[in-house]
Amino acid sequence: MEKTINLTVNGETRSIAVDVNQTLLEVLREDLGLTGTKKGCNQGECGACTVLMDGKPVSSCLVLAVKADGKTVMTIEGVAKDGSLHPIQETFNQKGAIQCGFCTPGMILTTKNLLDKNPNPSLGEIKEAISGNICRCTGYVQIIEAITSLAKEKNARGGV
Amino acid sequence: MRLPEFIYHEPENLQEATNLISEFNGRYGIIAGGTDLMVKMKQRLQNSQYLISLDRIPALKTIKEKADNIIIGSMNTLDDIVNSEIIKEKLPCLKQAAWEVGSPLLRSVATIGGNICLNTRCRFYNQSYFWRSSRETCCKAGGHVCHVTNQEDACYSTFVADTVPALIAYDASIKLVGVDKTRKLSLADFYTGDGRMPNQILKGSNEILTEIEIPIPKDDIRSVYHKFRVRESIDFPLVGVAVMMKGIEEKHCQDARVVFTGVGSAPVEAKLAREKIIGQQLTPDLILEVATMAVSELHPVKTDLMSPNYKRGIAQVLVEKALRDVGGVNNGKDD
Repeated sequence: MEKTINLTVNGETRSIAVDVNQTLLEVLREDLGLTGTKKGCNQGECGACTVLMDGKPVSSCLVLAVKADGKTVMTIEGVAKDGSLHPIQETFNQKGAIQCGFCTPGMILTTKNLLDKNPNPSLGEIKEAISGNICRCTGYVQIIEAITSLAKEKNARGGV
Repeated sequence: MRLPEFIYHEPENLQEATNLISEFNGRYGIIAGGTDLMVKMKQRLQNSQYLISLDRIPALKTIKEKADNIIIGSMNTLDDIVNSEIIKEKLPCLKQAAWEVGSPLLRSVATIGGNICLNTRCRFYNQSYFWRSSRETCCKAGGHVCHVTNQEDACYSTFVADTVPALIAYDASIKLVGVDKTRKLSLADFYTGDGRMPNQILKGSNEILTEIEIPIPKDDIRSVYHKFRVRESIDFPLVGVAVMMKGIEEKHCQDARVVFTGVGSAPVEAKLAREKIIGQQLTPDLILEVATMAVSELHPVKTDLMSPNYKRGIAQVLVEKALRDVGGVNNGKDD
């Protein structure tokens, strides 16, 4: 069974015919070619497929594509602007918060959501925010360092 | 693994939704947030010909005070519950329990109605089709044998919802709407205790859970939810307990509830412990006695990786800690 859905992906309005049994992850990767969103466990445990749906981080492998009808979706491809990396991406690079990179798209989007909501998170709030995004390489230390330094920079800039 | 094929419906009001479930009798699944259902469908544990989404029914998304009650629509996400000012102020134990579910990624989609209707789990059942195909189909998946106990036609799969002990401690009731009737029942009565069909909706009552009604607790009620799991960030509870006490400021407890999740096929209320505590003054000795009594009422089965004895030990620790927290009793040690 097919259904046409209208959604905004990375600022662009799209109208796509999807099978009702496709997940948002499958539509993003296979129909829209946005392969920055990773398929990890495919059962909502690892967070590699995290996207922001109406501003909230969700596991796109557990969301039916038809449920994204009328929603705004941001994937990792929508984070960088005009060819230059977002400050979160720059900082993850500088702090060595990336190793194999498989968790990074989800980690960056979760971080973006956290810092948009709360520019000055405590260590506990950072750990809680990224608790659904599993990283098997870094041991989280550099990731947490990157997020902490972003928060400091953001505060120094007056929350911008 | 991809999802199986199904026909998808998005009714825009309750009448339309109940008409659909009555028309598709036995061949449909209801999808709320879908965080549990999607996994079960990928694992081929549920193959519904029709899927009915409750997303487009605005009436199910309210949180409001009505007379002396708080009414919560079943389609509120767990994030909505955690962030609701009314719930933060009046039902802190529910807020805590909702916050303990899964990870933030799941809570932004998963609903409170879905958590209440959550199916029971077992290490032999919640596995991929390939994994399960290596042995005889278990009782819960439609066969006749229980791989945990080696009994025939018995299922001990475990109830693991976090919000339910908190809701039962608050004396919540729920509204179930069918095609031609609406009924209200106490949340504790919603559960059957049968691992195969753990609640009335899963048993096939052809109803939709629309709202949860909770009497606003009086000022002298204190409550807390504690949960133990393997991975702090995501797992279902191995044991969870909600403890509520009334009138503790007046030295003698007037009422109490101790409700567990993760230790049986339904939420378990420790009734002997409740009787023991009413009218008493909370002391370290009484706390120990009540916790021991509460644990004696539990009969966990090894449906996950922890042994029943280990679970009882954890339950003892959680109840003691919860009683100390609500009663403001210090045991002289750091937890």
